[in-house]
Amino acid sequence: MKSKINLFLFDFSVLSIFRRGSKNIFIFFVFTLLIFLLSSVLFISNSIKSELDTTLNALPDITVQRLQAGRAINMPLSRLNKLLAIDGVNAVIPRVWGYYYFANAGANFSVVGIDQFEDQYRDLYTKLCDKFNFDKLKKDSGMLIGSGIDQMLKNNFYQGYFNFVKPDGSLAKVKIDGVFKADTALESNDVIVMPIKKVREIFGMKPDEAVDFVIKVANPSEIPNIARKITEIYPDTRVITKEDLKISYQNLFDYKGGLFLALFVISTFTFFMIIYDKASGVSSDEKREIGILKAVGWTIDDILKEKFYEAFVISFVSFITALCLSMFYVYFLNAPLLRNIFIGYSNLKPAFDLPFSFDFQTFAIIFFLTVPIYIAATIIPSWRVASMDADEVMR
Amino acid sequence: MLLTPEIITILALDFIFLFFGTIAFFISIRIARYWDLNSTTPLQYKLEKQSFLVATIIKYIFVVKLPLFLFFIFTANKLSNVIVGAMCAAGVVNSVSFGSAMFFYKILNLYIFGFWLVLNHFDLKNENQPYTRYKFLLYAIGFIFLLVEIYLDIDFFTSLDVSKLVSCCGALFSAASTSSFSFIFTVNKLYFVYIFYAIFVLLMISYIFKNAFVVLSLNLIYVFIAIISLIVFFGTYIYQLPTHHCPFCMLQKNYDYIGYVVYITLYIGTFFGISGAIMSILEKKKEKFYYNVSAIFNVIYAIIISAYPITYYIKHGAWL
Repeated sequence: MKSKINLFLFDFSVLSIFRRGSKNIFIFFVFTLLIFLLSSVLFISNSIKSELDTTLNALPDITVQRLQAGRAINMPLSRLNKLLAIDGVNAVIPRVWGYYYFANAGANFSVVGIDQFEDQYRDLYTKLCDKFNFDKLKKDSGMLIGSGIDQMLKNNFYQGYFNFVKPDGSLAKVKIDGVFKADTALESNDVIVMPIKKVREIFGMKPDEAVDFVIKVANPSEIPNIARKITEIYPDTRVITKEDLKISYQNLFDYKGGLFLALFVISTFTFFMIIYDKASGVSSDEKREIGILKAVGWTIDDILKEKFYEAFVISFVSFITALCLSMFYVYFLNAPLLRNIFIGYSNLKPAFDLPFSFDFQTFAIIFFLTVPIYIAATIIPSWRVASMDADEVMR
Repeated sequence: MLLTPEIITILALDFIFLFFGTIAFFISIRIARYWDLNSTTPLQYKLEKQSFLVATIIKYIFVVKLPLFLFFIFTANKLSNVIVGAMCAAGVVNSVSFGSAMFFYKILNLYIFGFWLVLNHFDLKNENQPYTRYKFLLYAIGFIFLLVEIYLDIDFFTSLDVSKLVSCCGALFSAASTSSFSFIFTVNKLYFVYIFYAIFVLLMISYIFKNAFVVLSLNLIYVFIAIISLIVFFGTYIYQLPTHHCPFCMLQKNYDYIGYVVYITLYIGTFFGISGAIMSILEKKKEKFYYNVSAIFNVIYAIIISAYPITYYIKHGAWL
């Protein structure tokens, strides 16, 4: 059990890697590329997940939608008081919002109506209320837009205003009063904020209706209880808690990352075969070397150890190189190409930075899926080489 | 079934273990049957070469398994966020009926494979290779356990259900639970503490006299009493909560991952004690190095575990 690392043996293996440079460079290159791909995907997934987590924390505790025939429909404002009467509910805020499809760019805008003097359900809106002059906004029926939308409208030659098409076909011309950029771009890039009245007008909604209610709860551990009460009072509602959303997001991202990983495992096993093959194909030079080593007194164990060091050095150096490369690729270059897997094809979504997030677990996953598999692939070939008879190979 | 990256990683490595383990299994059966160091037949010559392959494979499996086991616990802790009702690994593991069995096999295999390496070390040191047959027989048995473990792993991950409600550790580790170990909560917990320290003192005395059988049996008892007393008594001081009896929560960040330190020292201490004692019996000489390592780590374990109640008492002036 008291096996120490033999530094001379280690030195010998490193030199041996360089002696067979061309063969090892190929393996090193492909292996690095593979690990690079895997770690990049996991980093992107992690990074988006952490961005979503911050977004989710800012979300309301409970969202209540009204369903009819399984689809969400508008919520009458008359239901508000009964929900407010539930013990533990701090505030019930009706939300007026919707998606506006802008056909020219093929993108959806999230149009949100807010009232300056009401409780805001997102910190972002509170900040907007402080920063921009809402009286002016109301007076000249203007709007505030996210930086992504600003860019898009400029590309479509809208300078300072935008024409919404109302349900009856008439146009609603709305002035752009300001552009905002939030801390997390993912939640605000495609957002348009305007007074509630204007939103109702654009979407043709009745004045006594809201899209859904959000509920603030004083004690977070009361959330499931209150959610249950709401469904009892209004059985036609769907009640979504923050926890539900968090779980479904984690599942979604684990699924996306997992799907990629499943494909990756297949490619790793293919690579396993390549290494196996490469390591088995021993040149006559190498055979002679083993023969000489055995003749001067090396045991099978020594040669196995030497081969293990070789495999470990190659795989570990590739591992570290690939990790550094993919960190650079993901966090400095913002992962061009690859991140589209996660974000989808919406024109407005992609314009954001990936925040830095690195946890031990990702590191462990990448390590376990690469280095041990590489070493496993070399076990049998190394043993074959090591157990060759000295007299036979030197002949 | 959940398809998280962690689960895929564990299953992929399980398949590698299965592949190489099976190869090693067939070779070791042959070696156990036909090994004869004095014979000069080609078969014996071949077997001698193959024994190195098996040894390498087993070394590989053990070295990867050790961190993978920690990773498994880590994963189970993470999955507790997703599974309704679970608050730590305990709920996740016990969401299936064979959860405790799976854990038992995982730990047992770590001991068996570790001991195999010790046996191998002694075998190769002696030019007569006296243990070759036994070690390959031992591996053949260990392989069966490994198969069971891998089967349970796969079964566990495929039967994980996000929407199923599971119990949290607070319900599992209490006198009210119906699990097989709930009886330990009905006994006065101080008895376990007394037994733990009594065994610990006996263990320390046994290291002085170095009687192999005594060291072996005391170490075996020590593992169990250490874990039981940890659940019943010492754990409550780590959590500073008299009703919290979970052996898994201490592996989480809230408790500075102290669980990893606790369990690793316990494993090293008892592993060296057990394997050292067995080797002393086989070699008929006292394995001082193993006893010393075992004694040091068992003492470290006892110190860490005792520090919690003592600091609690000093700070608050009362016991929980």
